[in-house]
Amino acid sequence: MRRTMAACSTILLAVLSAACATSGQTQTEQAAQNAPATLSFWSTGGDDETATFQKAADLYHQKHPNVTIKVQTLAWSDAYAKLLAAATSRSGPDIISGGMTWTIQFGARGAMVDLRKHGGDALKAQALPAQWESAVSPDGSVFGVPLDMSTMTLYYRTDLLEKADVEPPRTWEELPEAIDRLKAAGVKKPYSQDWGNLDWIGYFNYLYQAGGSFYTSDCKPSLDTPQAERALKYWVDLYREHGAPTATVEGSDALDTGTAMVVAGNWIAKGIDLNKPKLKGKWAMATLPAGPAGPTTFIGGRAIGVTSFSKHIRTAADFVTFLYSDEAIAAISDEAKKRNISYIPPRPDKIVDGSVFTPEQAQVFESAIRTGKAAPGCPGWDESASDVAKQLQSVILGKADVRTALAEAAEVMERNAR
Amino acid sequence: MASPVPLSRRLRRYGTSYAMLLPFLALFAGFLIWPLANSLYLSFTTFDGINPAAFTGLDNFRLLAEDTRFHHALSNTGLYVVASVVLGTLLSLGLALAFSGTGWPHRIMRTVFFLPSVTSSIALMLMWKWVFFPSDVGLGNTIVSWFGGQAVAWLATPGLAIPILVLMSVWGGMGYGMVLYVAGLGAIPHEYYEAARIDGASTWRQFRHITLPLLRPVTTYVVVTGLIGAFQVFEAVYIVFQTGANNVGGVLDSGLMIVPYLYDQGFTHFRLGYASAIAWVLFLVIFVLSLVNLRVGRAMKEL
Repeated sequence: MRRTMAACSTILLAVLSAACATSGQTQTEQAAQNAPATLSFWSTGGDDETATFQKAADLYHQKHPNVTIKVQTLAWSDAYAKLLAAATSRSGPDIISGGMTWTIQFGARGAMVDLRKHGGDALKAQALPAQWESAVSPDGSVFGVPLDMSTMTLYYRTDLLEKADVEPPRTWEELPEAIDRLKAAGVKKPYSQDWGNLDWIGYFNYLYQAGGSFYTSDCKPSLDTPQAERALKYWVDLYREHGAPTATVEGSDALDTGTAMVVAGNWIAKGIDLNKPKLKGKWAMATLPAGPAGPTTFIGGRAIGVTSFSKHIRTAADFVTFLYSDEAIAAISDEAKKRNISYIPPRPDKIVDGSVFTPEQAQVFESAIRTGKAAPGCPGWDESASDVAKQLQSVILGKADVRTALAEAAEVMERNAR
Repeated sequence: MASPVPLSRRLRRYGTSYAMLLPFLALFAGFLIWPLANSLYLSFTTFDGINPAAFTGLDNFRLLAEDTRFHHALSNTGLYVVASVVLGTLLSLGLALAFSGTGWPHRIMRTVFFLPSVTSSIALMLMWKWVFFPSDVGLGNTIVSWFGGQAVAWLATPGLAIPILVLMSVWGGMGYGMVLYVAGLGAIPHEYYEAARIDGASTWRQFRHITLPLLRPVTTYVVVTGLIGAFQVFEAVYIVFQTGANNVGGVLDSGLMIVPYLYDQGFTHFRLGYASAIAWVLFLVIFVLSLVNLRVGRAMKEL
């Protein structure tokens, strides 16, 4: 019965948020420039992350005593729906943060401010070009700018690799060799993937490392290439020939339960020693093994933008710009260190300098990011991503061959691009 | 034929009652009727949640007819509904027959089986997620390892998705059905059984010809509410099977059901018009099946 009620409420929520929409959009009246203002910033993530951004907001308040910015947490699980409800009712936050493509999607529907009108494109020079591109809409609008970065690395158990006399693999050739030698040395779980397992993000690394891409520079789907085939074959072999598990185990859990090497996101780095004290001194990080076309790693992160229904658009845009300043990044990093959060600022020059990580870890992230690429920003990608992932899964699970799956994925991308 | 009672007299007599019903009626109309009517209208539009809705006639329904993911969700849901309702009803009845007594052992057992029904479904689903945790930490794989088996990728094996969903549903719902059946069993007069025993009827014949027919109203209720609940399965898929923002139905959409698909289309793809169309198709399916069920129940009564 409760299930029925819960499902009914879901449908009702869908219906209600649809029904509560305003019939048209009007320009929100802007508050007087120098009047005291309280802005609301809905930050997608955890409470600890909210606290780090609140430090930057407090610093902004010190410089602009008239402006108070309150940062509130939106959990990843329901952030998107809450932001949609806010955009639908055209009320709520002045500033929002969330997945890299969210601001593009909300912006395309008129719910975000194009920050170019408020000098936001000046941040381009400071941001990582690949990440900046993924935050910019296909028509060039800047509805959001990167707020932080996330990337992935190869975490490995130093004790297990030593036991098998294996160095962390640096190339595509070395990875299967390392897996075989670890197996021969009695390591039952030589390799696994956390972030991107069975998903397009996992394939992304291999695709670019093989010299391929999802789209050409003019946004034509490009999965029907020899590079894309080679990348998928290599990735699938890791599962089918070398025993990479299809079930996703969180990176630090995987290391803790005897996995020798695991591909995982930067966000686990700060927590391993704290949450898995047994692993202290027994793990390290390396960049992902490079492919025939070189090393490439996926770069994600969060975007931040200003809502079009805010009454304080100029102030909100000014705060977004302020977040790229040395002092704001230092304030966020200091608080992140205290709270053990794996924060990577959106400015590549700040990854090592003042980092929350140890110098060795920061170096690994920096080199991953230097050769990094972000999600495709081409029209139709968001609609296609889940179908592309299903096609990749069908090859991994032995239900389709490489060429057919890639052709079908390219067809879906083509259809959605129209 | 009596002359109609004048409105003024009717109001004088029932005015207070109507006035007391008004708050409920206002809420009912505002939060149920109006949104329902709106969602029907939106199912004929391309509403994206933010911009004004554009009327597109039957386009959403035409797209639904061609949407392979929707077909997949529909067939998954069909399989899930049949398996979970049949198994759930049988097990509820079995439990009720086993623990319908008034002694303490029976009461304790009934409480134990009813517990999932009073626990938050979110908490239950998180617990199941732990059971099917892929590493050795998960309860499922710990048990498998006791018997020397290899760790199973429970949630990443497409063939296991529906059985796992059915298991979660039956485990969570059979206690509720059991309580209904226990009440139904209590309402059957003992005299029938005494008379049957005197006539030499075996336990099976008593069950077949007294218990089952007299439990028919309870069975109809358990099946219809079970059907509705099963068609609307959401948390189980959303919490246990979602592995990423783009992966609402689990690996190869093996756990994709109608309501999670509706949510995915409405709330992550801004297709609220399309999501409304899915909601109305779901409503029609449930409506027709419930009618069929009630009709079959009535026909059997007339036999």
